[in-house]
Amino acid sequence: MKKYMPFITLGFFLIFPMLGVSTYVMHIFILLLMWTTIGMSWNLLSGYCGQVSFGHAAFFGIGAYTSGILYSKLSMSPWLGLPLSVFTVGILSFIIGLAVLRLRGPFFALATLASGEVFRVTAENMEWLTSGTLGIMLQQRLWVSKLPYYYIILSITVAVFLLMKYLLSTKLGYYFVAIREDQDAAESLGINTTLYKTIALIVSAVVTGIAGAFYMNYMGYIDPHIVFALHDISIITIMIVMVGGVATQWGPFIGAVIMVLLQEVVRSIPGLGAMHQAIFGGLLIFIIIFLPNGIVGDFKKIKRFFGLRSA
Amino acid sequence: MVQLEVFLQTLVSGLLLGGLYALIGLGMTLIMGVMKIINLAHGELMMVAMYIAYWLFTLLGIDPYLAVFIASPALFILGVLIQKYLITPVIKVESILPENQVILTVGIGMVLASLATVFFKSDYRSTPVDYASVTWYLTDYWANSPIELSISLLWAVSFFFSIMITIAMWFFLSRTDIGKSIRATSQDSDAAILMGINVNRMRSLSFGLGAAIVAAAGCLFIPLYYLYPALGGQFTLIAFVITILGGLGSNVGAIIGGLVLGVFESMTSTYIGMGWAPVGRFSIFIAALIFLPGGIASLLHRRRFGK
Amino acid sequence: MRKTLSITFTFLFLVFSTMFVYAEDFNLTIPLPLTGTQAKFGDIQKRSYEIAQAEINAAGGIKGKKLVLTFEDSGAKPEIARGIVEKLIDVQKQPLIVGEYTSSCAKAVAAVSEERKTPYLVVVSGADDITQQNYKYVFRLNPPNAYYASGLIGFMKEVVKPKTIAILHESSDFGTSGADEMEKHAKALGMKVLMKEKYEKGAVDFKPILTKVKSMRPDVVYMVSYVMDAALLMRQIKELRLDAKLFAGGAAGFAIPEFVDNAKDASEYVVTSTLWSPQVKYAGAKAYADKYKRTYGDYPSYHGAAAYSALFVVKNALERAKTWKQDDIRDALKATKMQTAFGNVAFVDQNGYQNQNFLETLVLQVIKGNHETIWPKHTASAPYLYPIPRWKDRK
Repeated sequence: MKKYMPFITLGFFLIFPMLGVSTYVMHIFILLLMWTTIGMSWNLLSGYCGQVSFGHAAFFGIGAYTSGILYSKLSMSPWLGLPLSVFTVGILSFIIGLAVLRLRGPFFALATLASGEVFRVTAENMEWLTSGTLGIMLQQRLWVSKLPYYYIILSITVAVFLLMKYLLSTKLGYYFVAIREDQDAAESLGINTTLYKTIALIVSAVVTGIAGAFYMNYMGYIDPHIVFALHDISIITIMIVMVGGVATQWGPFIGAVIMVLLQEVVRSIPGLGAMHQAIFGGLLIFIIIFLPNGIVGDFKKIKRFFGLRSA
Repeated sequence: MVQLEVFLQTLVSGLLLGGLYALIGLGMTLIMGVMKIINLAHGELMMVAMYIAYWLFTLLGIDPYLAVFIASPALFILGVLIQKYLITPVIKVESILPENQVILTVGIGMVLASLATVFFKSDYRSTPVDYASVTWYLTDYWANSPIELSISLLWAVSFFFSIMITIAMWFFLSRTDIGKSIRATSQDSDAAILMGINVNRMRSLSFGLGAAIVAAAGCLFIPLYYLYPALGGQFTLIAFVITILGGLGSNVGAIIGGLVLGVFESMTSTYIGMGWAPVGRFSIFIAALIFLPGGIASLLHRRRFGK
Repeated sequence: MRKTLSITFTFLFLVFSTMFVYAEDFNLTIPLPLTGTQAKFGDIQKRSYEIAQAEINAAGGIKGKKLVLTFEDSGAKPEIARGIVEKLIDVQKQPLIVGEYTSSCAKAVAAVSEERKTPYLVVVSGADDITQQNYKYVFRLNPPNAYYASGLIGFMKEVVKPKTIAILHESSDFGTSGADEMEKHAKALGMKVLMKEKYEKGAVDFKPILTKVKSMRPDVVYMVSYVMDAALLMRQIKELRLDAKLFAGGAAGFAIPEFVDNAKDASEYVVTSTLWSPQVKYAGAKAYADKYKRTYGDYPSYHGAAAYSALFVVKNALERAKTWKQDDIRDALKATKMQTAFGNVAFVDQNGYQNQNFLETLVLQVIKGNHETIWPKHTASAPYLYPIPRWKDRK
């Protein structure tokens, strides 16, 4: 059963749009897949390599703005932003990496957090390039139907999933985990920690950047407050992986299911008003306390709790 | 002469702003120093304290400055409870990334902000005290002064208090037994256990104290600012900057860090543009992380020990 | 896997269960920011929609159907607003969309509505480009940002006759476009723009920037701020004794009662442009404002009046529409010509805008702790006070 799970899931997602679901559900699923992609990228850098980033909004935003600026300043198709953001995000993340990767633990986390904010305010102030806070709006999106967007983000998600699987099966994967478990020990074994941390950062950033470029194309409007948001992007990313399961292949997906689907359901319960956030926050606290490694990471615990397998 | 006036007034406001910032950062530096966790609910704790001060003022007419004596103990209890029932269980369990705690504090912050919206509505509130606009002007004292400088009473009071609280904290941490135990816990918790210190109690205590200090900051802050449920986030960020700039766990570092940040931001506003002030804030932050990892406290130590 | 499926199905079930609607009711779901930093404005509007709902139902509903409102919280996040609207159009089959507040959310909603050919009535989002996209299905009740200050400019032209101006604005879409428009108008009037600076929402200390303004000695200080920044700015202007011929605000933060409550005597003589005030002479305006005040203790701002009137525009259009199909409702909205508490409503294509309602904007001045309408003269509730005294000479 476990062996076939990826195929079953993929099959489900492939035929899902044919089940006659509404565009609303499609919208939620597109967001779900987008967040899964971002979550997987964060998981590589932070879950496997142990460098907890609080600044993935920086990469997401750079990707989105790559697309947006192509469209608004060069009158080209914003879809070109997807391949181009590989370069812009790659280069900028390399520069960020030079500055922040020498830091460890909470210091690294805070430095990435700050770099996300620096990019936001810079985008706000560089009006000649980014139109500042007025944001960039696509006159018309390429498709009205959700289907093309859905399959594009689905193929991105699948590609990223395979990429992560491949990367982690190579020597790189072992180096990453070695760095996470004990950086000094890894160093003394002759692992060039700076090099591998940089690789993890750039791969992670580029994937997030592509997701950002997709967001621009899909939503048709960005401004610095939206795509460089600390809480709505960076922290949501972390929560997705933490809730789903750090350093697990399925964690980001399960986390995105919880964070996107469940949050939407909780939000839609009529009559709750502003209360929905408190409920959701409470749920988060509960998950963190009782399932510290996330749902996938502590799946055994869940099974035990429901008496499925006596331990 | 006009330029001089601009410069001096900017400097004065920068220092006053810095005092206020330091006050917000003091609680965080204690919490981060002792527990090494990033508390993203810090601003929300301040928000809770500000609501306490607001309701005391509105319902009972208690001055926000006096509300410190109610809000601080209340937040102390809240902090201890959070530490005891939420954070300690998370620290205890094995997990791959210790940053679990951070997400926990995000959850706490979400719950607090959302409950505030539910119970107190999203209205903007303030405590219009009578002395809100009392200001001292240089020309009032020296009529022929070629330049005009002004200092507002509220800002001066909060500045004064942040110095006082820093001194009190310094005294507490370095001169009392409990303070010394807290510092020992922050330096090496394993060794502290061996020395017979109840580390868990010290952690609860320091989280409570940190919350109490930020409550005091909230009470001093509300007369010159305003209040709404989503106010926390931005101040959490400022507190981080100060904590890192000043050096983890260092009170004196925090106040100097706050002043440096305040002056730096004010100068950026005046001479580059107010829109860029946050860039200045975070650049100084990243620079401090990279070039001065121990913060200002490490400079102070170096001098003291003559290294 | 089973887990994923069961979660998915639970979710789908919840979504579809919202589909069961009562035949005799007309359900209208309104997306609004009810949490987060914009929640205050979401609340004002929600309350006003509810007042209008009660009045409409008391008068027999819409074509005999009871109007049932529900509100969904978008938290001022565009992708959530988009999700809500996709749901409304697709699952609940709601034939028209009303609401949202922040311009970024309104833009997201407008894009969906246009694609799905569902009429969308923008109630009080300012960004100019919402109705400049040649959208057919997007209508806007409030005048665009560029027109917010038109009344104020008239006042400056005829009364103050300033030569120089300093502009401070909040760094949001609303603040930036308001400041840009003022810059354009000021230059057209021959004023010199000494500076135009933005700040981050929620800033604590404006004194550095104000000191700089002070050293430039502008005739007019024009500020565009969302909420409480407005009061802080005036308080700190007073602390610095920054004197100018006129302190002017660009709606939003300067036009709500909290401004006077919080800035106290520093708010005296400050003028602000606004779209509406409780003293306007439109039929129903006063009754609405009083009703709001009785229930919630404060007079509503123009946000509330717009929301209140929006429901009547919807009712009017639905009553005229041939059927309650999207295109018929669109045609009916396009033909709207009616009187509301917010002013005369008609959606016209003009000056590069489409389906845009234009209103006369007003100027308020804080006189003895109250917002009084001072301009244009025919709606004035009190004579304007000008020139204003220097700070030093005030008691």
